[in-house]
Amino acid sequence: MTVDKVLDMLRTSAGEALTDPELRSRTVGVARPQEIKEVWAGISGQALVPAVRALADLAPLHLSVISGRDAGEDIELLYHLTVGYGTEGGEVLVTLRLMLPKTALRVPSLCGLIPGAETTEREKREFLGVAFEGITDDRNLFLPDDVTAHPWRADDEEIGGMVRRTVKWEERNAGT
Amino acid sequence: MNVLHVIWQSAVVVLGSGLLGLVYKGIDRKLAARMQGRIGPPLRQPFLDVGKLMVKENVVPRDAVPWLFHAAPILAVVASVTVLLYLPLGPFPPVLSGRGDLILILYLLAMPAVAMALGGFASGSPFASVGAQREIVMMMSYEFPLAVVVVGVVWRLATLGFSPAFSMVTVGSTPLWGLVGPLGVLGLALLFLCLLVVTPAELSKIPFDIPEAETEIAGGLLVEYSGVNLALFYLADAVKTVAMGALVVALFFPYGIASPLGLSGGWAALVDQLFFFVKVFAVVFVAVTTVRVAMARLKVDQVARGFWIPVTAAALAGLALLVLDKVVMG
Amino acid sequence: MQERKTTYEIPVGPIHPALKENIRFTFQVEGERIRSVDVKPGFVHRGIEYMGMRRNLIQVLYLSERICGICSISHPIVLTQAVEQAANIEVPPRAQYIRVIVSELERIHSHLLWAGVAAHELGFDTLLHLSWKVREKVMDILEELTGNRVDYALPIFGGVRRDIAAEQYPKLMEMIRYYRGLFEELSDTFLRDPSVEARTRDVGVLTPKEAHELCAVGPVARASGLRKDVRQDWPYLVYGDFDLTALTPEDHGVEVHGDVYDRIIVRLLEVAQSLDLVERCLREMPEGEITSFPKIPALLAYLKKAEGEGIGRHEAPRGEVIHYVRLEAGQEGPAVWKVKAPTYSNLMPWTPMFREQEIADIPIIAASIDPCMCCMDRVHVDRGDTREALDKQALLRLSWEKTRRVCG
Repeated sequence: MTVDKVLDMLRTSAGEALTDPELRSRTVGVARPQEIKEVWAGISGQALVPAVRALADLAPLHLSVISGRDAGEDIELLYHLTVGYGTEGGEVLVTLRLMLPKTALRVPSLCGLIPGAETTEREKREFLGVAFEGITDDRNLFLPDDVTAHPWRADDEEIGGMVRRTVKWEERNAGT
Repeated sequence: MNVLHVIWQSAVVVLGSGLLGLVYKGIDRKLAARMQGRIGPPLRQPFLDVGKLMVKENVVPRDAVPWLFHAAPILAVVASVTVLLYLPLGPFPPVLSGRGDLILILYLLAMPAVAMALGGFASGSPFASVGAQREIVMMMSYEFPLAVVVVGVVWRLATLGFSPAFSMVTVGSTPLWGLVGPLGVLGLALLFLCLLVVTPAELSKIPFDIPEAETEIAGGLLVEYSGVNLALFYLADAVKTVAMGALVVALFFPYGIASPLGLSGGWAALVDQLFFFVKVFAVVFVAVTTVRVAMARLKVDQVARGFWIPVTAAALAGLALLVLDKVVMG
Repeated sequence: MQERKTTYEIPVGPIHPALKENIRFTFQVEGERIRSVDVKPGFVHRGIEYMGMRRNLIQVLYLSERICGICSISHPIVLTQAVEQAANIEVPPRAQYIRVIVSELERIHSHLLWAGVAAHELGFDTLLHLSWKVREKVMDILEELTGNRVDYALPIFGGVRRDIAAEQYPKLMEMIRYYRGLFEELSDTFLRDPSVEARTRDVGVLTPKEAHELCAVGPVARASGLRKDVRQDWPYLVYGDFDLTALTPEDHGVEVHGDVYDRIIVRLLEVAQSLDLVERCLREMPEGEITSFPKIPALLAYLKKAEGEGIGRHEAPRGEVIHYVRLEAGQEGPAVWKVKAPTYSNLMPWTPMFREQEIADIPIIAASIDPCMCCMDRVHVDRGDTREALDKQALLRLSWEKTRRVCG
């Protein structure tokens, strides 16, 4: 699998929804140095599933993880995918960036396409409060069942209180 | 034999078997450790364990049936010790000789397992329930080959004109090996092998420690037991180990070394008694210690299939050979 | 006859002897057969990502080592890769080789550790003691090279902190010979023992299709026949120079079943592969610098100015580890630090493995992915409303009180 092929596929499947596609490279190896390129691109919620489906049709697709952050007005989700495992040096790392305004935190789920996406989508739901449409199971995963706070949201008061309490307790305990 | 006689002899057997069982456990653990490349606990560790359990709190779970929960360990100990009262221990006849026979021993041997299963069901824990179910399945699997072995040996004795055939005194004083023909020896060897396979199952030791299976069901039957109750189960296990060893010895190796050595009187009794301990230990070592360091735990369906088909077939073949032997020898 | 509902529920965990760490399985069981399972992680006190985002990068590096006691080189290697990409730091060749050597040694010790745990789950303690006894050799070598048996504190942004001295080469070579001599014996005891085979053949099967769809990683995916190995697929450090192939049971000359037995095969083969890699690294490793930033304050100052994003990936003994790091100028710590440990990806494949198996198979199937809950878990919730958390002194006091009560 080559980076250009992956990028072409993303361009044709997502069209206009693909923003700032970029190839980043790093040099690895000592005896046989080679340049490894990876794809970074922004994408919209609607284009996500078609784009990922196109990648899955291209070569064996693996979803490593979705990472995310609270970027103030928006929530940023990064889908770290790899395309084409199973061949020597043939895997391409693809990172799709999705910006969701905090007023509309909805994104289509990848579970229908990659059932293994459930773990990481459940984690993003409970940690960032993003709703995944079509997720196979949306109970809390890492958090206790009854916790509704979202630990990675900077604007979540409940979590702030929890952290302050823990810090106080640890400080008191440190003395004994 | 008067009542007092029975009482003091029983007391000796109860104490002696408890001590002996714990000593065997200690040696077993030490040898197993050495075979696994470990140092192992000191020989007195089982005594320390029992002592420790005796002072620990006896917790009864909220969902348990208390009277049954407490009765089960006592039943297990009593049944194990009672078996010993019917078995010849060394050169002496059984304490209760003449009051019961081999069939009774078979039932008594099943009692500790039944008691443990009852205790498991009474614990009100899902792990203990699974353990109890497994214990019952195991019992149903190994009891039939065990019965075939015992009946085979006794039947051949009876055909040779010894009576009362089912009495332990007769069995324990008459080595069969020399009295049967070559076919009979082969049959006896098969039965002996079957009994060796049944022994670890009867004692719930690896690969048959399925009802307890620490890594699967957290100790299964025993999961809710603690303190004195657990100590009683531990003792019952120790005593039952001696009983199983004594049964194997009585059925297949009732030989003494005193008369070949030309001893008589008190010395003969002492030497034969010590030789008996060695024989029992040899059985435990072969059937329990070496097997448990060399195998993984099996699953209950594998055990049931194994006992029902190959082991039962081997036991029946042994029985058939004994019958053939009777026909040939006349 | 009308069919009645005959399933009952068996909870395994959060505390259970089959599990070395806390996780909760709820099994629906019929007799001894498992009908369905629900997996619930989240019982290990964590919050490492949160802590990391409030510390400077050097501190985060040390923190990353404590994500997992077993993969304690994998996480720092991945973090350094990510930060090196984000901040454009070069790594000297010798440092790359040293990272590879130590991570392959880690693979050997992790797989041997796993072999022992698996044997224990099967009730085969002799094999546990054997595996852990031979594991001591590689632990000694790790201690010799890094000063520690776990948490090696070796990688740093831009290189490694310790060199491998010339007099240490023979010790490494001696270790390689030791394990090569033992390899036959080990594979014989694990792969040709009838009781091990009876307990692991066709147990916990994961089909290649399921492994692919559920994004299984590491030995779990390879045992199902997928040739998926970050070292092979995606060149990093010096792995691209080695023409490495991912190992599946086919390389052992047997058909792929995707069961626990195959996972044993794959891990044993990988021990041999790692030995070859270490030997090759020792032969080819060039002399030279081991870090591009010998002074830590200079490194910290440089990192503080850096801005960018980076991803690091590594094939840890248990599978793919990936870290994403976002650096912002003027900030000492990472703005975002996302850690994905292998168990996270292997959580979903558990469900098909357990289906229609027996209760007796639970421990070995659970262990077969070599789970590391604490690598995967995220947070600890302190509600502050119920009972107070107990510190060491309070626990000690409570146990004294109880002893007094019990002993009268």
